[in-house]
Amino acid sequence: MEPEELVALALRSAADASAGYADVRWVREERESVTVTDDRVEGLTADDTSGVGVRVLVDGCWGFAASALLGPGSVRALGHRAVQIARAAAALQRERVRLAPVEPAVASWSTPVGRDPFAVGLDEKVGLLLAACAAERTVPGLAYARASIDLWRRRTLFLSSEGARIDQTVTQTGAGIEAVAVSGDDLQRRSYPNSFRGQHQAGGWEVALGLDLAGNAPRVAREAVELLAAPELPERVTTVILDGSQLGLQVHESVGHALELDRILGMEAAFAGTSFVGAGDRGRLRYGSDRMSVTVDSTTPGGLGTFGFDDEGVPAQRSPVVVDGVVEGFLSSRETAAAAGGAANATMRADGWSSLPLVRMTNVNLEPVEGTLAELVADTRDGLLLSINRSWSIDDRRVNFQFGVEAAWEIRAGRLGRLYRNPTYDGRTTEFWGSLDAVCGPSEWTVWATPDCGKGQPCQVARVSHGVAPARFHDVHVGVRGPHG
Amino acid sequence: MSRLGRERLLAAAEAALGGDGDAEALVTRRASGLTRFAGSRIHQSTWSEDVNVRARVVVDGNRVGVASVHDLGPEAVAAAARRARSVAQAMPPDLGYPGMPGPAAYPQAGRYDEATAAAEPAQRASLVAGAVYRLPEGLEAAGTCETGEAEIAVANSRGVRASAATTFATFSVLVDAGSGSGFAEAAEPALADLDVAALADRAAAKAVGSREPRDLPPGTYPVVLEPAAVVTMVQFLGYLGFGAKAYDEGRSFLTGRLGQRVCSPLVSIVDDALAPDAAGVPFDFEGVPRRRVTLIDQGVAAGLVYDFRSARRHGVEPTGHGLPAPSPEGAMPLHLAMLPGSAPQAELVAGLERGVVVTRFHYTNVVSPMDTTITGMTRDGTFWVEDGRVVCGVRNLRFTQSILNALSAVRAVGAETGLATEDFFGATRAPALAIDRFTFSSATTF
Repeated sequence: MEPEELVALALRSAADASAGYADVRWVREERESVTVTDDRVEGLTADDTSGVGVRVLVDGCWGFAASALLGPGSVRALGHRAVQIARAAAALQRERVRLAPVEPAVASWSTPVGRDPFAVGLDEKVGLLLAACAAERTVPGLAYARASIDLWRRRTLFLSSEGARIDQTVTQTGAGIEAVAVSGDDLQRRSYPNSFRGQHQAGGWEVALGLDLAGNAPRVAREAVELLAAPELPERVTTVILDGSQLGLQVHESVGHALELDRILGMEAAFAGTSFVGAGDRGRLRYGSDRMSVTVDSTTPGGLGTFGFDDEGVPAQRSPVVVDGVVEGFLSSRETAAAAGGAANATMRADGWSSLPLVRMTNVNLEPVEGTLAELVADTRDGLLLSINRSWSIDDRRVNFQFGVEAAWEIRAGRLGRLYRNPTYDGRTTEFWGSLDAVCGPSEWTVWATPDCGKGQPCQVARVSHGVAPARFHDVHVGVRGPHG
Repeated sequence: MSRLGRERLLAAAEAALGGDGDAEALVTRRASGLTRFAGSRIHQSTWSEDVNVRARVVVDGNRVGVASVHDLGPEAVAAAARRARSVAQAMPPDLGYPGMPGPAAYPQAGRYDEATAAAEPAQRASLVAGAVYRLPEGLEAAGTCETGEAEIAVANSRGVRASAATTFATFSVLVDAGSGSGFAEAAEPALADLDVAALADRAAAKAVGSREPRDLPPGTYPVVLEPAAVVTMVQFLGYLGFGAKAYDEGRSFLTGRLGQRVCSPLVSIVDDALAPDAAGVPFDFEGVPRRRVTLIDQGVAAGLVYDFRSARRHGVEPTGHGLPAPSPEGAMPLHLAMLPGSAPQAELVAGLERGVVVTRFHYTNVVSPMDTTITGMTRDGTFWVEDGRVVCGVRNLRFTQSILNALSAVRAVGAETGLATEDFFGATRAPALAIDRFTFSSATTF
């Protein structure tokens, strides 16, 4: 059966089983990943998965059923099974789920793609990575060099009982390199453009080519080796400038998750956690300094959270959530918006056909202000430049965080100086964002990827992004060793 | 769809095995229903079924390609094999290609319970409701109840024909008592073996007991880590360096330390999918029989886990720890267990003069891989103990601590074990530990 027939059949079966509301997604996702270590191709996988997921509301309770088995009998059974699951949920119901209104869309949308990355020959992909590793290995002292490519293409057909009919295709491409140096009981790693398999954006093969992996490889390798001889970052309280990739993850962990309305309402309590932010904090809670403005924007070019419509048919949009340091909105689904006020803002996403859509980040962006990184460093009398994440952790209400980064450079009198290894910093969310005093401008603003955000049960992995420019924070505790604070 | 069974799984695999040269098919099917609740109401309930065939094809003796499809039809599987072949043809030679394993006899392991495979959403909802309704007034619950079945088969052109089927049932419950919370979870092969009432009661007692927590200054304290917290440490050790490839690349904390003492002689860690309480399958993703491997033997680094490739390189027998191809990270232990000691868990707390009891950790991550330093938060039941008695709950703390240093300061090992699961690490079993020195680096506000 064609996908259009499958989704229509599944929607009919849900209606036949007396669903009050139903939506159906047929999703096909193609994935390809290549990993090269030194001169060996260590991993090349191509995966192709498709299936149908049916979500229903019955008497105000949700049910969801999904399968990769796409015969007519199997698909027809999904609607009935979803309704059966919803009816079972009535055993423990308080209030009926209501949905904030959305205009049913009939539309199609695709990521702008310069060159189809799946059509690029494997020899070209492998050659790109082998060349990058070879360029790393021109630097003596590495334990190993590694380079990788990841491609995703997801086509989603969405039908709802309200009349929505959406066909969209999202294409995402990424690549990266890492250099690992080992000496005795120490291991140091430098990555480019980001850790954990590099940088990923919406788009085609041009994304990978634009990274110039081989051109950056010798520097990355040199820095990994230099880190082995660098001193440990001493513990102190100081000014820090976070580079874009690290700041992106800082936004992710200490802003994006904290403003997800499902967490705020307790729906993630048992797993990912809740939030220190309350539903009544809109317009009242000072989250950070007046330099801090954050938007949730699923229209950001290049973002992994960029699409035409979310997975409940809400059109992509740009929503301010923090304005001049004050909370002004949340990441909201139709259900949570109806429960807590406001409108759904296109943040309902599933990680594939088999998953129930959840409130997820799309592109949660710190708005740029002014100046360049060089100017910001020059304007800093005493501090550190912290570069590229290697470790992250935050409590289940998103208050106490601790990050590790790959490298730190001392800043003295406006100039970069000594390199430090094993840098860490920690803090509490609103104190930290309250110490923000400078954000670089649009010329430094990059959409950084977080392609592996886990949430939900069963756990889903979302690909999200954060547009940020480097920023400066004061009175930050660095070099976490033992007890403090 | 109900259980496929060995014949249908292997029939799906056969479509990927034609042609010259080595070929392998890994066939999996998983179907599960999960009832999720929060605020003492069921809010997200799901069911899903997935099938997968992963074809690995070798051409010219050492060019390897892998492709995967989520369809068991012979045409789709054959297409995946063709795709894997075309990938292989584009690959440079893999000079270290070790070949594929041959046929083997497999031990008994795992359990398939028909009633669990057939569990209906109403049964899961009923269990959830039972847990919620037994809570005292004013307490709310969140968690999951999941039931399901998993099937796996591995076949290759050298004669491997392995298959297994297992079932699983899990229940987790977090009880919210306002300023305190508690958590308990259990996993069994059969739904009937879950004692949901006991889990709810344990989580509720922790929640009530940790109400109105006091501040505890960050510092280095004696602690009792309950099994779920110990599981986190054991799993990070597995992630950081029990695999032969990590060892060879020099990124394992064990590199150069095999045969040396790395922690207290009270600590022994094994990987054992065949243990009666492990619920594992008897072979790995390459079709190699799984073996029990002692990784830390009374404090001494004793062994590593090997896939087929790393075993060939080391000249040893593979231990049955291969992951699905192409597995760039190498072998991983997925059924870790710290062996229990002789002290009842209650005695560990009774032996604590002044210290902290930790129920579980949250969002743990690696700070420094070579010295096994990790950081994370306590969660859902952190208590202050004086003279062997729990005095009060304390606000949650961040720990920044070397795992091996903590395991070197073990004073006593609990007699009871608990099984805890994490999505990325599989299921691990561990006892509670009494540790003389454990460092909490900072605190949070709740």
